[in-house]
Amino acid sequence: MGTILEIEDLDLKKGNKYIIKDFNIEIEQNLISVILGVNGAGKSSLAYVLMGLSGYKPERGKIIFKGKDITNCSVTERAKAGMTLAWQTPANFEGLTVREYIEIGMKNKSLFSVKEALEKVALDPVLYMNRVVDKSLSGGERKRIELAAVYAMHPDLVILDEPDSGIDILSLENIKKLILDFKENGSTVLLITHRDEVAEIGDKAFLMCNGKIINEGSPAEISDFFKDECSKCDHKGAPEKSLAKNERSE
Amino acid sequence: MATKIIDEYAEMMKAYEQSGGKVGEFSNPNVPSIVISGNKVLGKNEVKGLIIEPTPTKDGVDVKITVKSGTKILYPMALCFGVLPKEGTQIINMEAYIEDNAGMNAISHCVFPNAEHIVHKMRYKVHIGKHSFFRYKEIHFHGDKGGVEVVPYTEGTVGEDSYFESTFTLKEGRVGKLDIKYNVDVEKGGKLELYSKVWAKDTDEVNIEEKGNLKGEEAKALIKSRVVLEGNSHSKVVSVVNASAPYSRGHVDCMEVVRDNAVAEAVPIVGVSNELAKVTHEAAIGSLDSKEIETLQARGLTEEEAIKVVVGALLK
Ligand SMILES: Nc1ncnc2c1ncn2[C@@H]1O[C@H](COP(=O)(O)OP(=O)(O)OP(=O)(O)O)[C@@H](O)[C@H]1O
Ligand SMILES: [Mg+2]
Repeated sequence: MGTILEIEDLDLKKGNKYIIKDFNIEIEQNLISVILGVNGAGKSSLAYVLMGLSGYKPERGKIIFKGKDITNCSVTERAKAGMTLAWQTPANFEGLTVREYIEIGMKNKSLFSVKEALEKVALDPVLYMNRVVDKSLSGGERKRIELAAVYAMHPDLVILDEPDSGIDILSLENIKKLILDFKENGSTVLLITHRDEVAEIGDKAFLMCNGKIINEGSPAEISDFFKDECSKCDHKGAPEKSLAKNERSE
Repeated sequence: MATKIIDEYAEMMKAYEQSGGKVGEFSNPNVPSIVISGNKVLGKNEVKGLIIEPTPTKDGVDVKITVKSGTKILYPMALCFGVLPKEGTQIINMEAYIEDNAGMNAISHCVFPNAEHIVHKMRYKVHIGKHSFFRYKEIHFHGDKGGVEVVPYTEGTVGEDSYFESTFTLKEGRVGKLDIKYNVDVEKGGKLELYSKVWAKDTDEVNIEEKGNLKGEEAKALIKSRVVLEGNSHSKVVSVVNASAPYSRGHVDCMEVVRDNAVAEAVPIVGVSNELAKVTHEAAIGSLDSKEIETLQARGLTEEEAIKVVVGALLK
């Protein structure tokens, strides 16, 4: 199994502050890789850099996707190459129906596949298909529709930015199942979260702290490290300390 | 002469179809309809309880439409107005009487496929009786040269417990110059909804002035406008709700999206002269939301395709 995504020595600056610094990672094909990190660690910023959003052009570094350097590619080019992102807080679209929204990313548009995608996220197609993707949807409903839309795309790599946020605890199992279905269908998943109970479904996990990967291992190991170290750590805003700590423990 | 009329009818139908209309409606005996090209009435179909009385004038046609008391027209009436030559003036004076306990839906397509210099003036007088409804949709299709001046003015009264909805849509081709005015009184328990959806390009000019007067107890009004502006186009939207009756409720919702060098103005005016009335407003002018565009790009659309989807949905 090869590497689908590689990030080398990436720096991202916002204003005069580094949000991501000396970032390196390799993501293996067809696995679920988890990026775990506290609020403000830079997880969403990383997702935006990967997707190539405006305002997120890296200062330095390279992004290699399926063997090709995509660092300077547009969002569209990245999507066409097989990558997509489910936003942590998805956008609203006045007038656009759920069906139209889901169909946008589908190569072969069919009502059947729209229904299937909605069923995957436990939304009744009859009730939701003709709703509008605007603020009349609840936060949790909007998140599920986002997941349904990326699911319908069958991407090679899907970046899920906190797919569990805003989703009630009862539906968490359903979301976990969906993430496993992505893998089943041949997608590679980059799962961003700050909840260790979600991280556990991954094949591999990375701990992100203040713009850097400071540890990697099995989801169980990284979850333990996260619980033991990050919860009581005073490093917030000072990654060097935590990095030093991590290196010390090795 | 006869073949000329047939050709003209065929060309009107072609433009009607291009603007999204279904031509079959004009041959369906159950669908009330009228087709007016310049100042000629090319076709007309009445149904039970509906009287259509057109009178050709020098530059257009005066039309009186009456929905008789107690009649609800089953199929929406299809209207097609237009001017086929490059130049010309068309003045339509339409009086619509929706009597008591009556109702009708109507969809009007105004087509100017070859417009280089055309003036199209519409004067609507709408009288809606008690416990009645009238839903009117006007869809415009102009060519891409921008040579049309469209001036639709609507005055009207919405009677007790009645409903009037009017939607104006212009998103295909160039606008040219558009000057819309509404001035509608709403009586006790009546409800008024005005929607304007316009996509202005190049040097297009858009002027919208919509006014709802809530004169009766519990009268309601919603005025909603969506204008997308590109190139060097310009728009001004003035939305007015005056509430003078107890428990009357009004809301103004205006959103203008500007791109390129376009300029937009929004002026919501809300007047309340009864302490038990309430009118709210929201107005927003801004550029397209980059998060919306980038979301669609992340699904594989190009930037231009994404803009089309976002704008198309906004004006739907
Ligand atoms: N435009 C910006 N200007 C300045 N600082 C920014 C900007 N965008 C993000 N940041 C900062 O960068 C850091 C990382 O933000 P980011 O949203 O990537 O974190 P996150 O790990 O996704 O957090 P969360 O778990 O809360 O979603 C935060 O400290 C944030 O305040
Ligand atoms: Mg985040």
